[in-house]
Amino acid sequence: MTQPVVVGAVLVLLAVLAAALYRERRHNESLKAQLEAAAAHLQQLQEACAMLAPAGVVQRLIADGVAPGAQAAAERKVVTALFSDLVGYTAMSERLEPVVLARVLNGYFQRMSDAIHEHRGHISTFIGDGILAYFGALQPNPWQCDDAVRAALAMRASIREFNAELAREGLPPLAVGIGIHRGPGLAGMVGSRERMEYAFVGRTVNLAARVQALTRTHRVDILVTEALRAELDKRFVLTPMPAAPVKGIAEPVITYAVRERLAEPAQAAS
Amino acid sequence: MANALQHVAWEPALIEPRPHPSLESYARRRFGMPFPSIRYFTSVPWLARAMIDLHPEYGLLMHLEQRVADLLTLIVSQENSCRFCYAAVRALLRIQGVSEARIQRMEQDLTRADLSPQTVAAIAFGRSQSRSGPPAAREAREALGRAGVGANEMKEIAYAVAMTDFTNRVYTILAVPPYQIEGMPDQLFMRLLRPLINHLVLSHHSRGRATPLERAPSYPYAHVVKLYAGSPIAPALGRTLEEMWASAHLTRRCKLLILAVVARGLACEVCALEVGKALHEEGLKEATLTEILTHLDAPELDPIERLLVPFARETIWYQPAPLQRRARALRERLSGAQLVEAIGVVSLANGFCRLGASVTEHA
Repeated sequence: MTQPVVVGAVLVLLAVLAAALYRERRHNESLKAQLEAAAAHLQQLQEACAMLAPAGVVQRLIADGVAPGAQAAAERKVVTALFSDLVGYTAMSERLEPVVLARVLNGYFQRMSDAIHEHRGHISTFIGDGILAYFGALQPNPWQCDDAVRAALAMRASIREFNAELAREGLPPLAVGIGIHRGPGLAGMVGSRERMEYAFVGRTVNLAARVQALTRTHRVDILVTEALRAELDKRFVLTPMPAAPVKGIAEPVITYAVRERLAEPAQAAS
Repeated sequence: MANALQHVAWEPALIEPRPHPSLESYARRRFGMPFPSIRYFTSVPWLARAMIDLHPEYGLLMHLEQRVADLLTLIVSQENSCRFCYAAVRALLRIQGVSEARIQRMEQDLTRADLSPQTVAAIAFGRSQSRSGPPAAREAREALGRAGVGANEMKEIAYAVAMTDFTNRVYTILAVPPYQIEGMPDQLFMRLLRPLINHLVLSHHSRGRATPLERAPSYPYAHVVKLYAGSPIAPALGRTLEEMWASAHLTRRCKLLILAVVARGLACEVCALEVGKALHEEGLKEATLTEILTHLDAPELDPIERLLVPFARETIWYQPAPLQRRARALRERLSGAQLVEAIGVVSLANGFCRLGASVTEHA
């Protein structure tokens, strides 16, 4: 009599234990799935953030745990600023359908971004049809001047290729003006409590923008300042331009038009 | 479970693995288990041996806890986006019984990971060296001191970080496939055999024992080797350097130029001075060296140097896939052994330069 009861009790106990284990396992699997979904969501957020700020900045913000409104570190740096603008954009925007215009602009921005990233620059912001990029802002880069001018030459080559594509579609060609200057400034997260961005602040950026505007005056596509030329590899072929006055700067600014670079290492070795 | 680096773009392997029975058997004796990835380095034996001999877990650390060294490898590999090393150390931690949740806490928020202040400081040091390199070395070292880390332990932390910087680059530039090792912790046999594998792994781990540095080295970076005199790290580093210089796939001048470019890119003045002196002894004029280091090019460079000098700077700060594509472009112009040796030298330069700045009073 006692034995069947004990066996029955043990069986019931085992059944209860099995049920508890099963429930626990299901619960664990559910938690694991939730964790994976959260990780995937976080990943998507990081990728979305990377479209709004340089990937390196996003990674630093995440790793350092910079909370909204917190004061992130800023530092004084010597950086090379590249300012690029589309020539004749206003006239083109009036002629093209919005859908076509958006496609052309996106194609232009993508190609310019690729050329800048390829030469270790990072894009700070798109200003209308303009692009502001920095070299040596995120990480120390003793070769920032050569990199910036190489990026500008790559942008020129890329625009030529893009224009060939546009011509096949019967669309007008694009032209860019690029100004490059090197100098000191403050690099870091700046902005209000509600909205911050990684920026480089100082006269260097203003002068790069003014030099970019001079490309129209001198009718060339790439101009660099005297300060940049002093650091530049002599294998870049430059043409001096007449000193020209620019807004906000007392002395006329001396600039140089960039023609080409003689024999790149990879070409020379082949 | 997906790890934090599985989204990082990774190119196909740059070269085919090549069996090498004696090196594979050497690795098996040291690690207690097969080390299949060594087949990617066997065309350059000094590099293959360095990947084994410089591993901190096997008889090199006398003061730093093994667990802290593992954490440093995890965090630095994450910083450097090395999918292979990151997956390998994650698998190792899982085998040792560290839960996935705890690994994630350590990766994401150190304050929640129940770590000692010394360990948190060591990890912060690893991050700082991977992100900022030599210019941040003094500050990072002072932070370790404030956390109560002693001088000998500090040197071993610097070593573990620098060697991770070295191996991360070797695996990343060669694009050694990480997929198998990434899936390993979740495989059924790994979960079932975890205690046995853990026992096997731990039975081959050993603490370092005081070892005299029999010969005072005289090559560039000798000052770093000498700073570790008395530790088994010194002869291991010295042997690697000696074998690297003796290998003939690249010229001595080419190797020195790679070291010089990395030193300049990392703003390590101590390293730059030492390497510059060695280049001067090779007959390179001061003006030519200045031109090379300022513009990564000069008419005096031979065709291989003209390829590798600009490539060296790509390895200082990088994203894996673009770096792997740049290395692939070299594949067409260099022999397999030349390419692997170049990757070894450039990776060693990154490791040594960071190590030198961490353990010496940086200018």
